[in-house]
Amino acid sequence: MNNPMEKAKKKYDETEIPDELAERIQMEIKRQDSKRRKAVFWNLGFRRGLAAAAAAVVLFTIGLNTSTVFAETVGNLPVIGAVARVLTFCSYETEDEDLKISVEIPSIEMISEDFSDLEKSVNEEILRLCEQYAQEARTRAEEYRKAFLDTGGTEEEWAAHNIEIRVWYEVKSQTENYLSLAIIGAENWNNANNQIRYYNFDLKKGTLATLADVLGENYKQIADDAIRSQMEERKADGAVYFDDFEGINEDTPFYINESGNPVIVFEAYEIAPGSEGQQEFEIKS
Amino acid sequence: MKKDLYDHITAYIVENQNKFYRLAYSYVQNREDALDAVQNAVCKALEHYGKIRNEDAIKTWFYRILVNESLLLLKAKSRISLEDENTEEASYEEKGFEVQDDLYDCINRLDEDTQTIIKLRFFEEMPLKEISQVMEMNLNTVKARLYRGLQQLKVNIQEVEQ
Repeated sequence: MNNPMEKAKKKYDETEIPDELAERIQMEIKRQDSKRRKAVFWNLGFRRGLAAAAAAVVLFTIGLNTSTVFAETVGNLPVIGAVARVLTFCSYETEDEDLKISVEIPSIEMISEDFSDLEKSVNEEILRLCEQYAQEARTRAEEYRKAFLDTGGTEEEWAAHNIEIRVWYEVKSQTENYLSLAIIGAENWNNANNQIRYYNFDLKKGTLATLADVLGENYKQIADDAIRSQMEERKADGAVYFDDFEGINEDTPFYINESGNPVIVFEAYEIAPGSEGQQEFEIKS
Repeated sequence: MKKDLYDHITAYIVENQNKFYRLAYSYVQNREDALDAVQNAVCKALEHYGKIRNEDAIKTWFYRILVNESLLLLKAKSRISLEDENTEEASYEEKGFEVQDDLYDCINRLDEDTQTIIKLRFFEEMPLKEISQVMEMNLNTVKARLYRGLQQLKVNIQEVEQ
């Protein structure tokens, strides 16, 4: 114990651990868990049985690749203002020796019968989108693998890449008027192939909301002005943008945040160098 | 079914929470801030766990977040307390690194990277290789910093080699 470093370590090891620590950690984990399940139980219990039944029916109607580990998660059904809800339609994971794929596909359920057409078409599109992305990513991974091995890489080195494909979703916001959902596909070896698709449901009208719906007819002007001025602010803080920003159009992706404002999203490389990453602009009304 | 990465991370966090607290405390030197630093780190980690490549990297990745969060809090604090009369801090400058000082406190007067390296190496007993991953630094840079830091602390260096 003459060594001062040992003494310092002893002091370090004797740092008193407050009881509160375990509580705080549990609290944080719980908070993240519930966020992760996208479960805002606004109206817990309401029509829960029905949702479970509906989920069971859709699950039966779709055949899944039998070689995949299939996990149905109907246990946690967020109910959104009793108007619409997002549920995990199916999720599965496959893990070959050198390729891991995990897919979590959402499905929207509108309570109102009037919106059933939208519900059906959107869900079909989401399913198609997710499976298509997973399929394409798998092809890209295989091409990458071939190229890697052809150019002298070994199987062991390839396995060390831990290639992974993920498709999942996030509920961006749930308000009385809108339900905003992001569906994300990502490959861990190449960010340039990441894809995000947003769906914004207008829960009053039963339609997919456009920027014009949210910001009014003048949406392009409003959004462009807001984006340009936010770009200037960020430039002042050292951000870099390409000079040729041409403004948005009706197809520019956006989601709706918790405050009900649209947030316009540009993927990496779109308006700024890739190092700046994805760019988001909240358009405050 | 295989436990997924997220579960591994939460299990790792729960298992090692006391270690995290001690490390955070060594930076911020008070209970509330140390609790905040650990909680913030857990929050960041669970929000961004998708960025992690595999289970083996959980440890170094989490330590990186934890050190960052602790330093962030420390900086925020020191900005606020600059105005206050902080006699302790003022005396640091004059005293320099004297052997009779408690080494634990002396370490905190080193620059951020060096103190992190020393804490991880001696307090957390982490191999230099892992430290270089936590710091996202070249292994040789880590070694050089470690030796220089120890020299500043006037600690016998011979036991550093693992």
